[in-house]
Amino acid sequence: MKIGLPKGLLNYKYSTFFETFFFELGTEIVYSSDTNKEILDLGVKHCVDEACLPIKIFHGHVASLRDKCDLLITPRIMQIRKKEFICPKFCGLPEMLVNSIPNLPMITTAPLYFFSKEKLYSWCIASAEKITKDRSKVKAACTKAMEKQNNTSYGIKNQGFRKNIALIGHPYNIYDSFINMNLVKKLNKLGVGVITEEFVEEKDLDIQIQKLYKRPFWNFARNAFGFSTFMAEQKKIDGIIYISSFACGIDSVVIELIKSGIDEFPFMVLKIDEHTGEAGLETRIEAFVDMLGGGINYESNLSPLR
Amino acid sequence: MKVTFPHLGNVYIAAKALFQGLGIECVIPPLSNKAALEIGSLYSPEEICLPFKIQLGNYIQSIEQGADTVIITGSCGPCRFGEYGEMQMNILRKLGYDVKFIVADSPSDIGIRELFKRIGYMTAYSNKNKIQKIKSLFDAIKIIELMDSVEGEARYKSGFELRKGECKRLLNKCKSEAFNAESPGEMIEVIQHYNEKIKNVEFDAQKNPIKVAVIGEIYTIIEPFSNLYIEDRLMEMGVSTKRRLTPSWWVKNTALSPLGLNSMDIKKASKDYMALCIGGHARECIGEAVLAKEDGFDGAIQIFPLGCMPEIVSKAILPKISKDLGLPIMTLVVDEMTGEAGYLTRVEAFIDLLERRREDVLSRC
Ligand code: SF4
Ligand code: SF4
Repeated sequence: MKIGLPKGLLNYKYSTFFETFFFELGTEIVYSSDTNKEILDLGVKHCVDEACLPIKIFHGHVASLRDKCDLLITPRIMQIRKKEFICPKFCGLPEMLVNSIPNLPMITTAPLYFFSKEKLYSWCIASAEKITKDRSKVKAACTKAMEKQNNTSYGIKNQGFRKNIALIGHPYNIYDSFINMNLVKKLNKLGVGVITEEFVEEKDLDIQIQKLYKRPFWNFARNAFGFSTFMAEQKKIDGIIYISSFACGIDSVVIELIKSGIDEFPFMVLKIDEHTGEAGLETRIEAFVDMLGGGINYESNLSPLR
Repeated sequence: MKVTFPHLGNVYIAAKALFQGLGIECVIPPLSNKAALEIGSLYSPEEICLPFKIQLGNYIQSIEQGADTVIITGSCGPCRFGEYGEMQMNILRKLGYDVKFIVADSPSDIGIRELFKRIGYMTAYSNKNKIQKIKSLFDAIKIIELMDSVEGEARYKSGFELRKGECKRLLNKCKSEAFNAESPGEMIEVIQHYNEKIKNVEFDAQKNPIKVAVIGEIYTIIEPFSNLYIEDRLMEMGVSTKRRLTPSWWVKNTALSPLGLNSMDIKKASKDYMALCIGGHARECIGEAVLAKEDGFDGAIQIFPLGCMPEIVSKAILPKISKDLGLPIMTLVVDEMTGEAGYLTRVEAFIDLLERRREDVLSRC
């Protein structure tokens, strides 16, 4: 049995879990290639027009794998933390895929809750149904996968730059360098270091979200709001860049929450879709870096010997 | 204290009765209108969904008429609606409006104590005793139900009516007379009266009108301004329409959902295409499309605001349903830029298509 693991969406964060689980069950794993133009085009072709770029790209990854495997990992992630939700498009992802892309192999449809061991285990049982009936094997694989996932660290924390910014955005916007057009590299070249939300402590997040009238509804809102307001308050950074996709309902809210939480702190939103041009993006980044006072002698950063 | 609230279809009629019963002063915002949308869009984040913008316009128009407290219901599933309150508060504060928000969140979110505290804050301004307060609440719920019944009947029957325009006339009269009633009691009588009348509208036995189900995002299908009065338009075209999502449906659904007994028919119908609740009312949309076929409808129209996350998921699934069941479904996406002319052309073309399909079927057998 061949398992297809599409890149894209939260697989950027949880691929370790899926990989380990299916590897332990003795199956072969096929990956989709890194996002590229073909994948994007495939996605645009198969996905509903109104969807956001990351969802379209995921459709592309899935379509590119459909003839290469027997079971596709299309995680229906319902919740990551208790009482916090994620985007409805994740909850309805398998339905979107089967009804939009013809000739799909089997796909995983069981709901996935990351906050509870039991629920993760039930996902594993359901997803391994066609592979093995051996419960103890599934349990062992599940435990191992959880351990490995918990030991994997994510995040970007550049060191040694004169100016630093906090980079906010959904993991797939931050880690997919096709989507963000190598944003991190571009910033580094301009002499700007990047730090992402993984490097803030839970307790600091908790303090920050107390400032909201209402406990954030989404897991993502909690992280993004807590992280950016904390970093701005502590003056640990010089500015904030938020990378977002057009038509993202969650971002439209989180951006506003952050804006009202950081006052005048330098903040830029980069919005992308399949029509975004690289030149325009570069100009905006440069202008922002200039504003932070970082662009003036950035060349000296590149060639310190001169 | 002068309370106000956002519009949602006919709810303002019941709300008037409720606050009258409680003896609390209330400002009813002018029916949603272009100016409200313009003000709302001006001050809202660009990419927020349409309901947010219209609601904000409602508040500002009410505040200008003296309202100082805004009442809204909180979250209803994993969607942006849950965050509306917080953002709208921030925006109004920044604009310098000094208003208080009472957010009636669900008790599972904030705890039943906090909910009572919030409601208590409002009812403290009421000089009525407990029994009277409870009675006003029940009256209001009754009015919502009655109004939905009148409206539902009128919209469905209008395709069959013997005297053209009768249903529409009765519906409009019912709304205006109910709204102008002196007391909640009188209001109930008025609506009951019209409810009877509409039930007895004479049918033309010859007629077999096109029947269309209106499905999609709950706010945009209930609040007529946001969908460019689509139900009125269809009524004028002699089309019978049915919309399952109504304010009284919402009340019942919310009350029954902790027990899992809500909307059993819709859940059952959606099972093959979407077995889980994903947020918003996507699952209802799917279930209603299936039910429309079962109920012998000719087609369905899905409406949602631009960027609406759950409905985009439904939209991805509807073509499959349409194909499987042979039920034409059209999607209309609305936002503040939606032009009336193009929109109506699409609706007319869709109705044409439904008519032609019928003829085809007839000529084939
Ligand atoms: S969170 Fe935003 S970007 Fe991610 S899938 Fe949902 S709408 Fe798209
Ligand atoms: S269901 Fe749609 S319209 Fe309602 S809050 Fe969510 S995105 Fe906005």
